[in-house]
Amino acid sequence: MDRFRIPTSLDGPIVGLLILIVWETGVRIGGVPAYLLPPPSAIAQRLFTDWDQLLYHFAATTLEVVIGFVLAIVVSIPLAALLAQIRIFERMLYPVLVASQTIPKVAIAPLLVVWFGFGLMPKVLIAFLICFFPIVVDSLVGFRSAPKEVSWLARSMGASRWQTFVNFQVPAALPHIFAGVKVASTLAIVGAIVGEFVAADRGLGYQLIVANGALDVTLSFTVLVVLSLMGVALFALVDRVERWALPWHVSQRLKHGGSP
Amino acid sequence: MTAAALALTEVGKIYRTASGPVQALDGIDFRIAEGEFLSILGPSGCGKSTLLSLASGLEFPTSGTVEQAGRRIDRPVTDIGIVFQTDVLLDWRRVLDNVMIQPQIRGLDLKAYEQKARDLLALVGLAGFEDKYPYELSGGMRQRVSICRALIHNPPLLLMDEPFGALDALTREQMVMELHQLWLRERKSVMFVTHDIQEAILLAQRVLVMTPRPGRIAEIVEVDLPFPRRPETMESRRFVEIVAHVRHLFERHGVLKKY
Repeated sequence: MDRFRIPTSLDGPIVGLLILIVWETGVRIGGVPAYLLPPPSAIAQRLFTDWDQLLYHFAATTLEVVIGFVLAIVVSIPLAALLAQIRIFERMLYPVLVASQTIPKVAIAPLLVVWFGFGLMPKVLIAFLICFFPIVVDSLVGFRSAPKEVSWLARSMGASRWQTFVNFQVPAALPHIFAGVKVASTLAIVGAIVGEFVAADRGLGYQLIVANGALDVTLSFTVLVVLSLMGVALFALVDRVERWALPWHVSQRLKHGGSP
Repeated sequence: MTAAALALTEVGKIYRTASGPVQALDGIDFRIAEGEFLSILGPSGCGKSTLLSLASGLEFPTSGTVEQAGRRIDRPVTDIGIVFQTDVLLDWRRVLDNVMIQPQIRGLDLKAYEQKARDLLALVGLAGFEDKYPYELSGGMRQRVSICRALIHNPPLLLMDEPFGALDALTREQMVMELHQLWLRERKSVMFVTHDIQEAILLAQRVLVMTPRPGRIAEIVEVDLPFPRRPETMESRRFVEIVAHVRHLFERHGVLKKY
Protein backbone atom coordinates (compact mmCIF):
# COMPACT_ATOMS: atom_id res chain seq x y z
CA MET A 1 0.00 0.00 0.00
CA ASP A 2 1.31 3.41 -0.93
CA ARG A 3 0.75 5.81 1.92
CA PHE A 4 1.12 9.53 1.45
CA ARG A 5 4.32 10.75 3.05
CA ILE A 6 5.18 14.30 3.98
CA PRO A 7 8.55 15.23 2.44
CA THR A 8 11.17 15.38 5.21
CA SER A 9 12.21 18.86 4.09
CA LEU A 10 8.80 20.14 5.26
CA ASP A 11 9.07 18.70 8.80
CA GLY A 12 10.42 21.93 10.27
CA PRO A 13 7.98 24.35 8.55
CA ILE A 14 5.02 22.15 9.51
CA VAL A 15 5.94 22.14 13.19
CA GLY A 16 6.50 25.90 13.02
CA LEU A 17 3.10 26.41 11.43
CA LEU A 18 1.43 24.28 14.11
CA ILE A 19 3.02 26.36 16.87
CA LEU A 20 1.75 29.56 15.21
CA ILE A 21 -1.79 28.18 14.95
CA VAL A 22 -1.83 27.09 18.60
CA TRP A 23 -0.42 30.49 19.62
CA GLU A 24 -2.95 32.48 17.60
CA THR A 25 -6.01 30.48 18.75
CA GLY A 26 -4.73 30.35 22.35
CA VAL A 27 -4.34 34.12 22.54
CA ARG A 28 -7.74 34.77 20.91
CA ILE A 29 -9.73 32.22 22.90
CA GLY A 30 -7.96 32.97 26.18
CA GLY A 31 -8.35 36.70 25.67
CA VAL A 32 -4.70 37.42 26.46
CA PRO A 33 -4.09 41.19 26.11
CA ALA A 34 -1.68 42.23 23.34
CA TYR A 35 0.58 44.05 25.83
CA LEU A 36 1.42 40.65 27.36
CA LEU A 37 1.46 38.31 24.37
CA PRO A 38 0.47 39.59 20.96
CA PRO A 39 -0.96 37.10 18.46
CA PRO A 40 1.23 36.14 15.45
CA SER A 41 -1.18 37.97 13.15
CA ALA A 42 -0.50 41.27 14.95
CA ILE A 43 3.24 40.69 14.68
CA ALA A 44 2.91 39.96 10.97
CA GLN A 45 0.90 43.10 10.52
CA ARG A 46 3.52 45.14 12.37
CA LEU A 47 6.22 43.64 10.18
CA PHE A 48 4.29 44.98 7.24
CA THR A 49 3.44 48.48 8.52
CA ASP A 50 6.79 49.25 10.21
CA TRP A 51 8.98 47.71 7.54
CA ASP A 52 10.97 50.89 6.82
CA GLN A 53 11.94 51.38 10.49
CA LEU A 54 12.74 47.68 10.90
CA LEU A 55 14.84 47.66 7.72
CA TYR A 56 16.85 50.64 8.91
CA HIS A 57 17.74 48.98 12.22
CA PHE A 58 18.17 45.62 10.56
CA ALA A 59 20.78 47.10 8.22
CA ALA A 60 22.66 48.65 11.15
CA THR A 61 22.78 45.40 13.10
CA THR A 62 23.64 43.32 10.04
CA LEU A 63 26.64 45.52 9.36
CA GLU A 64 27.95 44.99 12.91
CA VAL A 65 27.30 41.26 12.82
CA VAL A 66 28.91 40.69 9.43
CA ILE A 67 32.02 42.75 10.15
CA GLY A 68 32.53 41.11 13.58
CA PHE A 69 31.88 37.63 12.21
CA VAL A 70 34.13 37.97 9.17
CA LEU A 71 36.86 39.54 11.29
CA ALA A 72 36.67 36.58 13.69
CA ILE A 73 36.98 34.10 10.82
CA VAL A 74 39.88 35.95 9.25
CA VAL A 75 41.80 36.19 12.53
CA SER A 76 40.91 32.87 14.20
CA ILE A 77 41.67 30.38 11.46
CA PRO A 78 45.21 31.58 10.66
CA LEU A 79 45.89 31.86 14.40
CA ALA A 80 44.77 28.26 14.93
CA ALA A 81 46.92 27.14 11.98
CA LEU A 82 49.91 28.89 13.53
CA LEU A 83 49.26 27.39 16.97
CA ALA A 84 49.01 23.93 15.37
CA GLN A 85 52.33 24.33 13.53
CA ILE A 86 54.46 25.68 16.30
CA ARG A 87 54.25 23.88 19.61
CA ILE A 88 55.80 26.65 21.63
CA PHE A 89 53.17 29.13 20.44
CA GLU A 90 50.45 26.81 21.58
CA ARG A 91 52.07 26.22 24.96
CA MET A 92 52.45 29.96 25.48
CA LEU A 93 49.27 31.36 23.94
CA TYR A 94 46.61 28.72 24.44
CA PRO A 95 46.35 29.08 28.25
CA VAL A 96 46.07 32.85 27.80
CA LEU A 97 43.28 32.36 25.27
CA VAL A 98 41.38 30.04 27.58
CA ALA A 99 41.83 32.36 30.54
CA SER A 100 40.61 35.34 28.52
CA GLN A 101 37.45 33.40 27.75
CA THR A 102 36.50 33.19 31.40
CA ILE A 103 35.71 36.91 31.30
CA PRO A 104 32.08 37.26 30.19
CA LYS A 105 31.92 39.32 27.01
CA VAL A 106 28.73 40.95 28.24
CA ALA A 107 30.62 42.29 31.23
CA ILE A 108 33.26 44.08 29.17
CA ALA A 109 30.74 45.63 26.80
CA PRO A 110 30.43 48.86 28.88
CA LEU A 111 34.21 49.10 28.98
CA LEU A 112 34.40 48.86 25.19
CA VAL A 113 31.90 51.69 24.95
CA VAL A 114 34.13 53.81 27.19
CA TRP A 115 37.12 53.04 24.99
CA PHE A 116 35.57 53.16 21.53
CA GLY A 117 32.48 55.34 21.84
CA PHE A 118 28.92 54.82 20.73
CA GLY A 119 29.49 53.97 17.08
CA LEU A 120 30.05 50.81 15.11
CA MET A 121 33.35 49.84 16.74
CA PRO A 122 32.31 48.46 20.16
CA LYS A 123 29.50 46.32 18.66
CA VAL A 124 31.83 44.87 16.05
CA LEU A 125 34.40 44.15 18.74
CA ILE A 126 31.96 42.33 21.00
CA ALA A 127 30.68 40.26 18.07
CA PHE A 128 34.28 39.53 17.15
CA LEU A 129 35.32 38.56 20.69
CA ILE A 130 32.37 36.25 21.17
CA CYS A 131 32.93 34.48 17.81
CA PHE A 132 36.66 34.23 18.11
CA PHE A 133 37.03 31.46 20.66
CA PRO A 134 34.84 28.68 19.21
CA ILE A 135 36.47 29.13 15.82
CA VAL A 136 40.00 28.97 17.25
CA VAL A 137 39.28 25.91 19.38
CA ASP A 138 37.53 23.93 16.64
CA SER A 139 40.09 24.89 14.00
CA LEU A 140 42.93 23.86 16.26
CA VAL A 141 41.35 20.45 16.74
CA GLY A 142 40.92 20.30 12.96
CA PHE A 143 44.52 21.11 12.14
CA ARG A 144 45.55 18.37 14.55
CA SER A 145 43.04 15.81 13.31
CA ALA A 146 45.17 13.98 10.74
CA PRO A 147 46.41 10.62 12.08
CA LYS A 148 50.17 10.11 12.37
CA GLU A 149 50.15 7.85 9.31
CA VAL A 150 49.26 10.88 7.22
CA SER A 151 52.38 12.79 8.21
CA TRP A 152 54.36 9.60 7.73
CA LEU A 153 52.92 9.25 4.23
CA ALA A 154 53.65 12.90 3.45
CA ARG A 155 57.25 12.50 4.52
CA SER A 156 57.67 9.38 2.38
CA MET A 157 56.67 11.56 -0.57
CA GLY A 158 59.26 14.15 0.40
CA ALA A 159 56.54 16.73 1.04
CA SER A 160 57.71 20.10 2.31
CA ARG A 161 56.10 21.62 5.36
CA TRP A 162 54.02 23.91 3.21
CA GLN A 163 52.92 21.04 0.94
CA THR A 164 51.93 18.99 3.97
CA PHE A 165 49.95 21.92 5.35
CA VAL A 166 48.10 22.68 2.14
CA ASN A 167 47.47 19.15 0.89
CA PHE A 168 46.94 17.21 4.11
CA GLN A 169 46.28 19.45 7.10
CA VAL A 170 43.97 22.12 5.73
CA PRO A 171 41.45 19.85 3.97
CA ALA A 172 41.31 17.57 7.02
CA ALA A 173 40.68 20.60 9.23
CA LEU A 174 37.84 22.07 7.16
CA PRO A 175 34.93 20.10 8.68
CA HIS A 176 36.07 21.17 12.17
CA ILE A 177 36.54 24.75 11.05
CA PHE A 178 33.02 24.83 9.68
CA ALA A 179 31.66 23.43 12.94
CA GLY A 180 33.27 26.33 14.80
CA VAL A 181 32.12 28.90 12.25
CA LYS A 182 28.53 27.63 12.52
CA VAL A 183 28.52 28.05 16.28
CA ALA A 184 30.06 31.48 15.86
CA SER A 185 27.45 32.53 13.28
CA THR A 186 24.72 32.41 15.94
CA LEU A 187 26.93 34.02 18.58
CA ALA A 188 27.82 36.97 16.35
CA ILE A 189 24.25 38.28 16.58
CA VAL A 190 24.26 37.91 20.36
CA GLY A 191 27.43 40.00 20.47
CA ALA A 192 26.07 42.80 18.33
CA ILE A 193 22.79 42.97 20.31
CA VAL A 194 24.65 43.10 23.62
CA GLY A 195 26.68 45.98 22.25
CA GLU A 196 23.53 47.82 21.20
CA PHE A 197 21.90 47.24 24.59
CA VAL A 198 24.76 49.04 26.29
CA ALA A 199 24.85 52.13 24.11
CA ALA A 200 23.46 52.76 20.65
CA ASP A 201 21.26 55.02 18.59
CA ARG A 202 20.35 52.44 15.97
CA GLY A 203 20.15 48.68 15.42
CA LEU A 204 17.65 46.01 16.37
CA GLY A 205 18.98 45.87 19.94
CA TYR A 206 18.35 49.61 20.27
CA GLN A 207 14.87 49.22 18.78
CA LEU A 208 14.14 46.44 21.26
CA ILE A 209 15.09 48.70 24.18
CA VAL A 210 12.93 51.51 22.81
CA ALA A 211 9.95 49.18 22.26
CA ASN A 212 10.28 47.80 25.77
CA GLY A 213 10.45 51.31 27.21
CA ALA A 214 7.23 52.21 25.42
CA LEU A 215 5.61 48.92 26.52
CA ASP A 216 5.09 48.21 22.82
CA VAL A 217 5.27 44.42 23.24
CA THR A 218 4.09 43.78 19.70
CA LEU A 219 7.07 45.71 18.34
CA SER A 220 9.40 43.81 20.68
CA PHE A 221 8.11 40.55 19.26
CA THR A 222 8.43 41.88 15.74
CA VAL A 223 12.08 42.76 16.36
CA LEU A 224 12.67 39.29 17.82
CA VAL A 225 11.23 37.74 14.67
CA VAL A 226 13.56 39.82 12.50
CA LEU A 227 16.52 38.84 14.71
CA SER A 228 15.75 35.16 14.48
CA LEU A 229 15.32 35.41 10.72
CA MET A 230 18.74 37.05 10.57
CA GLY A 231 20.24 34.22 12.63
CA VAL A 232 18.66 31.54 10.47
CA ALA A 233 19.85 33.28 7.30
CA LEU A 234 23.44 33.57 8.53
CA PHE A 235 23.50 29.95 9.66
CA ALA A 236 21.99 28.78 6.38
CA LEU A 237 24.60 30.75 4.46
CA VAL A 238 27.46 29.04 6.32
CA ASP A 239 25.75 25.68 5.83
CA ARG A 240 25.47 26.34 2.10
CA VAL A 241 29.14 27.23 1.82
CA GLU A 242 30.03 24.09 3.73
CA ARG A 243 28.00 21.86 1.43
CA TRP A 244 29.62 23.47 -1.55
CA ALA A 245 33.14 23.25 -0.13
CA LEU A 246 32.95 19.79 1.43
CA PRO A 247 30.81 17.51 -0.71
CA TRP A 248 32.77 14.59 0.68
CA HIS A 249 32.16 15.32 4.32
CA VAL A 250 30.46 12.69 6.47
CA SER A 251 27.63 14.80 7.82
CA GLN A 252 26.73 15.83 4.29
CA ARG A 253 26.89 12.25 3.12
CA LEU A 254 24.44 11.13 5.82
CA LYS A 255 22.00 13.86 4.87
CA HIS A 256 22.06 12.97 1.19
CA GLY A 257 21.96 9.24 1.91
CA GLY A 258 23.91 8.37 -1.21
CA SER A 259 26.33 9.66 -3.75
CA PRO A 260 26.46 13.44 -4.06
CA MET B 1 77.11 -8.88 -5.10
CA THR B 2 74.61 -6.10 -5.87
CA ALA B 3 73.40 -3.89 -3.07
CA ALA B 4 70.32 -5.18 -1.29
CA ALA B 5 67.07 -3.25 -1.57
CA LEU B 6 67.16 -3.04 2.19
CA ALA B 7 69.87 -4.19 4.55
CA LEU B 8 69.81 -4.13 8.34
CA THR B 9 73.05 -4.95 10.09
CA GLU B 10 73.08 -5.81 13.80
CA VAL B 11 70.34 -3.28 14.45
CA GLY B 12 69.32 -2.50 18.01
CA LYS B 13 66.79 0.09 19.09
CA ILE B 14 66.31 1.35 22.61
CA TYR B 15 63.53 3.77 23.56
CA ARG B 16 63.92 6.02 26.56
CA THR B 17 60.68 6.07 28.49
CA ALA B 18 59.62 7.49 31.83
CA SER B 19 60.06 4.06 33.42
CA GLY B 20 63.56 3.53 32.03
CA PRO B 21 65.02 2.37 28.71
CA VAL B 22 63.05 -0.21 26.74
CA GLN B 23 64.81 -2.42 24.24
CA ALA B 24 62.50 -2.64 21.23
CA LEU B 25 64.85 -4.42 18.83
CA ASP B 26 67.97 -6.46 19.42
CA GLY B 27 70.44 -7.92 16.94
CA ILE B 28 68.24 -7.56 13.89
CA ASP B 29 70.23 -8.60 10.85
CA PHE B 30 68.69 -9.28 7.47
CA ARG B 31 68.62 -8.07 3.88
CA ILE B 32 65.92 -7.92 1.26
CA ALA B 33 67.34 -8.71 -2.18
CA GLU B 34 66.20 -6.76 -5.20
CA GLY B 35 62.82 -8.11 -6.25
CA GLU B 36 62.44 -10.20 -3.13
CA PHE B 37 59.23 -10.55 -1.14
CA LEU B 38 60.05 -10.85 2.54
CA SER B 39 57.37 -11.30 5.18
CA ILE B 40 58.01 -10.19 8.71
CA LEU B 41 55.87 -12.27 11.03
CA GLY B 42 55.41 -11.78 14.73
CA PRO B 43 52.96 -11.00 17.51
CA SER B 44 52.19 -7.48 18.65
CA GLY B 45 55.00 -5.90 20.62
CA CYS B 46 57.78 -7.60 18.67
CA GLY B 47 58.95 -4.32 17.16
CA LYS B 48 57.42 -4.68 13.71
CA SER B 49 56.36 -1.05 13.58
CA THR B 50 59.77 0.05 14.79
CA LEU B 51 61.30 -1.93 11.93
CA LEU B 52 59.07 -0.05 9.51
CA SER B 53 59.95 3.36 10.80
CA LEU B 54 63.65 2.41 10.67
CA ALA B 55 63.23 1.24 7.06
CA SER B 56 61.51 4.47 6.09
CA GLY B 57 64.00 6.70 7.88
CA LEU B 58 61.57 8.18 10.38
CA GLU B 59 63.64 6.77 13.23
CA PHE B 60 67.23 5.68 13.45
CA PRO B 61 68.76 2.66 15.17
CA THR B 62 70.52 2.97 18.52
CA SER B 63 73.14 0.54 17.24
CA GLY B 64 73.90 -1.06 13.89
CA THR B 65 73.07 0.31 10.43
CA VAL B 66 70.14 0.46 8.03
CA GLU B 67 70.93 0.76 4.34
CA GLN B 68 68.71 1.15 1.32
CA ALA B 69 70.30 0.21 -2.03
CA GLY B 70 73.73 0.50 -0.43
CA ARG B 71 73.12 3.96 1.06
CA ARG B 72 72.95 4.42 4.75
CA ILE B 73 69.63 5.87 5.83
CA ASP B 74 70.03 9.08 7.80
CA ARG B 75 66.86 10.99 6.89
CA PRO B 76 63.27 10.17 5.85
CA VAL B 77 63.42 7.97 2.77
CA THR B 78 61.40 9.00 -0.27
CA ASP B 79 62.37 6.08 -2.51
CA ILE B 80 59.63 3.87 -1.10
CA GLY B 81 55.95 3.17 -1.27
CA ILE B 82 54.13 2.64 2.02
CA VAL B 83 50.84 0.85 2.63
CA PHE B 84 49.43 1.05 6.14
CA GLN B 85 46.90 -1.07 8.00
CA THR B 86 44.40 1.74 7.57
CA ASP B 87 44.21 2.92 3.98
CA VAL B 88 44.92 6.59 4.90
CA LEU B 89 43.03 7.79 1.84
CA LEU B 90 42.33 11.50 1.73
CA ASP B 91 38.55 11.74 2.10
CA TRP B 92 38.30 14.96 0.13
CA ARG B 93 40.02 13.61 -2.97
CA ARG B 94 38.43 11.37 -5.53
CA VAL B 95 40.00 7.96 -6.18
CA LEU B 96 42.17 9.11 -9.08
CA ASP B 97 43.31 12.21 -7.17
CA ASN B 98 44.19 10.07 -4.17
CA VAL B 99 46.62 8.13 -6.36
CA MET B 100 47.82 11.31 -8.06
CA ILE B 101 48.80 13.00 -4.77
CA GLN B 102 52.03 11.03 -4.98
CA PRO B 103 53.31 12.43 -8.34
CA GLN B 104 51.78 15.79 -7.46
CA ILE B 105 53.77 16.20 -4.24
CA ARG B 106 56.89 14.90 -5.95
CA GLY B 107 56.50 17.40 -8.77
CA LEU B 108 56.39 14.76 -11.50
CA ASP B 109 54.80 15.12 -14.93
CA LEU B 110 51.09 14.90 -14.09
CA LYS B 111 49.89 14.09 -17.61
CA ALA B 112 52.06 11.01 -17.95
CA TYR B 113 51.31 9.84 -14.44
CA GLU B 114 47.58 10.23 -14.81
CA GLN B 115 47.59 7.54 -17.49
CA LYS B 116 49.70 5.38 -15.22
CA ALA B 117 47.29 5.93 -12.33
CA ARG B 118 44.37 4.88 -14.50
CA ASP B 119 46.25 1.79 -15.64
CA LEU B 120 47.12 0.83 -12.06
CA LEU B 121 43.54 1.30 -10.89
CA ALA B 122 42.32 -0.85 -13.78
CA LEU B 123 44.88 -3.47 -12.85
CA VAL B 124 43.42 -3.81 -9.34
CA GLY B 125 39.88 -3.89 -10.72
CA LEU B 126 38.90 -0.29 -10.03
CA ALA B 127 38.32 0.87 -13.58
CA GLY B 128 35.22 3.06 -13.56
CA PHE B 129 35.75 4.14 -9.94
CA GLU B 130 38.24 6.93 -10.68
CA ASP B 131 35.77 9.71 -9.89
CA LYS B 132 34.28 8.20 -6.72
CA TYR B 133 35.02 9.55 -3.28
CA PRO B 134 36.65 7.15 -0.79
CA TYR B 135 33.47 6.92 1.30
CA GLU B 136 31.72 5.34 -1.67
CA LEU B 137 34.15 2.40 -1.69
CA SER B 138 34.33 -0.79 0.38
CA GLY B 139 37.27 -1.47 2.71
CA GLY B 140 38.96 -3.76 0.19
CA MET B 141 38.58 -1.24 -2.63
CA ARG B 142 39.98 1.54 -0.44
CA GLN B 143 43.04 -0.54 0.37
CA ARG B 144 43.51 -1.27 -3.35
CA VAL B 145 43.58 2.47 -3.98
CA SER B 146 46.21 2.95 -1.30
CA ILE B 147 48.32 0.19 -2.91
CA CYS B 148 48.08 2.01 -6.25
CA ARG B 149 49.19 5.20 -4.49
CA ALA B 150 52.20 3.34 -3.10
CA LEU B 151 53.17 1.98 -6.53
CA ILE B 152 52.59 4.84 -8.94
CA HIS B 153 56.00 6.46 -8.59
CA ASN B 154 57.61 3.09 -9.25
CA PRO B 155 59.53 2.84 -5.97
CA PRO B 156 62.19 0.13 -5.74
CA LEU B 157 60.95 -0.87 -2.28
CA LEU B 158 57.43 -1.36 -0.96
CA LEU B 159 56.77 -1.32 2.80
CA MET B 160 53.49 -2.88 3.86
CA ASP B 161 52.31 -2.70 7.46
CA GLU B 162 49.59 -5.33 8.01
CA PRO B 163 47.81 -3.96 4.95
CA PHE B 164 44.95 -6.45 5.12
CA GLY B 165 44.60 -6.46 8.90
CA ALA B 166 41.44 -4.36 8.89
CA LEU B 167 39.61 -6.38 6.22
CA ASP B 168 37.16 -9.25 6.63
CA ALA B 169 38.51 -12.75 6.06
CA LEU B 170 37.07 -13.29 2.58
CA THR B 171 38.15 -9.91 1.21
CA ARG B 172 41.48 -10.55 2.81
CA GLU B 173 42.06 -13.82 0.95
CA GLN B 174 41.10 -12.12 -2.30
CA MET B 175 43.49 -9.23 -1.64
CA VAL B 176 46.35 -11.60 -0.78
CA MET B 177 46.02 -13.31 -4.15
CA GLU B 178 45.78 -9.97 -5.94
CA LEU B 179 48.89 -8.70 -4.24
CA HIS B 180 50.68 -11.90 -5.22
CA GLN B 181 49.69 -11.43 -8.87
CA LEU B 182 50.80 -7.83 -8.73
CA TRP B 183 54.15 -8.80 -7.28
CA LEU B 184 54.69 -11.50 -9.91
CA ARG B 185 54.15 -8.84 -12.56
CA GLU B 186 56.14 -6.00 -11.07
CA ARG B 187 58.74 -7.89 -9.04
CA LYS B 188 59.26 -5.12 -6.53
CA SER B 189 61.20 -5.64 -3.34
CA VAL B 190 58.60 -5.92 -0.62
CA MET B 191 58.80 -5.85 3.15
CA PHE B 192 55.45 -7.21 4.26
CA VAL B 193 54.69 -6.99 7.97
CA THR B 194 51.93 -9.22 9.29
CA HIS B 195 50.80 -11.31 12.23
CA ASP B 196 48.99 -13.82 10.03
CA ILE B 197 51.03 -16.99 9.56
CA GLN B 198 49.28 -18.24 6.40
CA GLU B 199 49.36 -14.84 4.73
CA ALA B 200 53.06 -14.41 5.53
CA ILE B 201 53.99 -17.76 4.02
CA LEU B 202 51.69 -17.68 1.01
CA LEU B 203 53.08 -14.39 -0.26
CA ALA B 204 56.76 -14.57 0.57
CA GLN B 205 59.99 -16.08 -0.58
CA ARG B 206 61.28 -15.88 2.96
CA VAL B 207 59.52 -15.34 6.27
CA LEU B 208 61.37 -13.57 9.04
CA VAL B 209 59.88 -14.88 12.28
CA MET B 210 60.17 -12.48 15.22
CA THR B 211 59.73 -12.90 18.94
CA PRO B 212 58.81 -10.11 21.31
CA ARG B 213 60.38 -8.16 24.17
CA PRO B 214 62.92 -7.40 22.92
CA GLY B 215 62.18 -7.91 19.22
CA ARG B 216 64.57 -10.56 17.97
CA ILE B 217 64.75 -12.75 14.90
CA ALA B 218 63.78 -16.31 15.84
CA GLU B 219 64.50 -17.67 12.38
CA ILE B 220 64.37 -16.72 8.74
CA VAL B 221 62.28 -19.44 7.10
CA GLU B 222 62.77 -20.22 3.40
CA VAL B 223 59.45 -20.73 1.63
CA ASP B 224 60.24 -23.15 -1.20
CA LEU B 225 56.76 -23.28 -2.65
CA PRO B 226 56.38 -23.01 -6.44
CA PHE B 227 55.02 -19.87 -8.13
CA PRO B 228 52.43 -18.73 -8.87
CA ARG B 229 50.84 -19.44 -5.53
CA ARG B 230 47.11 -20.09 -5.42
CA PRO B 231 44.55 -20.52 -2.65
CA GLU B 232 45.01 -24.28 -3.10
CA THR B 233 48.67 -23.85 -2.26
CA MET B 234 47.54 -23.61 1.36
CA GLU B 235 46.36 -27.23 1.18
CA SER B 236 49.68 -28.55 -0.13
CA ARG B 237 51.79 -30.73 2.16
CA ARG B 238 54.79 -28.44 2.00
CA PHE B 239 52.70 -25.39 2.99
CA VAL B 240 51.24 -27.22 5.97
CA GLU B 241 54.73 -28.31 7.00
CA ILE B 242 56.04 -24.75 6.91
CA VAL B 243 53.05 -23.49 8.93
CA ALA B 244 53.71 -26.23 11.49
CA HIS B 245 57.37 -25.25 11.65
CA VAL B 246 56.52 -21.58 12.28
CA ARG B 247 53.99 -22.53 14.92
CA HIS B 248 56.61 -24.65 16.57
CA LEU B 249 58.97 -21.68 16.60
CA PHE B 250 56.35 -19.53 18.31
CA GLU B 251 55.63 -22.28 20.83
CA ARG B 252 59.30 -22.62 21.64
CA HIS B 253 59.52 -18.87 22.33
CA GLY B 254 56.36 -18.85 24.39
CA VAL B 255 54.36 -16.77 21.90
CA LEU B 256 51.91 -19.62 21.35
CA LYS B 257 50.94 -21.97 24.15
CA LYS B 258 51.09 -25.74 23.63
CA TYR B 259 47.83 -27.61 24.18
